[in-house]
Amino acid sequence: MSSRFVYVTYIRTTPEKVWEALTKPEFTQRYFFGVTMDTDWKVGSPWRMLHSDGKTTDAGEVLEAKPHERLVLKWRNEFPDLKPEGYTRCTFALSKEGDLTKLEVVHEAEMDNSKTITAVSGGWPRILSNLKTFLETGEVLTFPGK
Amino acid sequence: MASKFVYVTYIRTTPEKLWQALTRPEFTKQYWFGVSLDSTWKKGAPWQMVFEDGSVSDDGEIVESKPPTRLVLKWHHRLFPEMQAEGWSRCTFDITNENGIARLSVVHEIDRNNSKMIEGVSGGWPRILSSLKSFLESGEALELERWRKIPKAKASTKVA
Repeated sequence: MSSRFVYVTYIRTTPEKVWEALTKPEFTQRYFFGVTMDTDWKVGSPWRMLHSDGKTTDAGEVLEAKPHERLVLKWRNEFPDLKPEGYTRCTFALSKEGDLTKLEVVHEAEMDNSKTITAVSGGWPRILSNLKTFLETGEVLTFPGK
Repeated sequence: MASKFVYVTYIRTTPEKLWQALTRPEFTKQYWFGVSLDSTWKKGAPWQMVFEDGSVSDDGEIVESKPPTRLVLKWHHRLFPEMQAEGWSRCTFDITNENGIARLSVVHEIDRNNSKMIEGVSGGWPRILSSLKSFLESGEALELERWRKIPKAKASTKVA
């Protein structure tokens, strides 16, 4: 019984660079649509997704943080229609394959048919495609309306 | 009752270039482990996945072909016994244009639960599609290690 979104991408860069891109505002603001992941990345610390307009759309807690390898976040969307669903779990697993990094994102909820997971299933491919383009070419994709 | 793999990627290219990259041997050979997809790409026509040594790993039939937006393939794997035994699967490519970015959606599905076929392709597709994206955006495919030893295939019989 659960809802699960899984996405694997291979990026021509090092795990260190992928980790930096996932965690540092100067990078997330570029490919992650102006977002800052506001946290100190220590286990047990809170985190929130802070947008350039000052709004927080998602928030939670850092469950695991092994630099360049693994990041696990407790994650809840703060909008009225999704907040009642409660917390989901988002895992970023990084591994090196030759001169590539394999990034696997697993975003899951204990409930079936989670609307949060449906929502992030639309967002992650955009963000992760943009991350790959940014790390490989130095430029981001220009999405309409973003 | 079904097994389904879904993958969406956004690529800095046009639907036309993406369609060509998916269907033409001079491109697939560069990012898809030396593979040629051998077909006329017309509805009802056969297709084959041919490796550089001539072996055929997968084949099937073109169900729909609407360049450059939609391609639907009937798909049968021929090498790994447990995947071959499951029979026909269906693979749908949908391509749209979003403000100069091509959106590619790949849905590979079969009418059975816990499919070994879908489990297998779920490992392969992200590798191929990541390599395709790098190839189209930076001119260079990814150097992916061959992730699974393919069983020795029978020699290819050229499809008429």
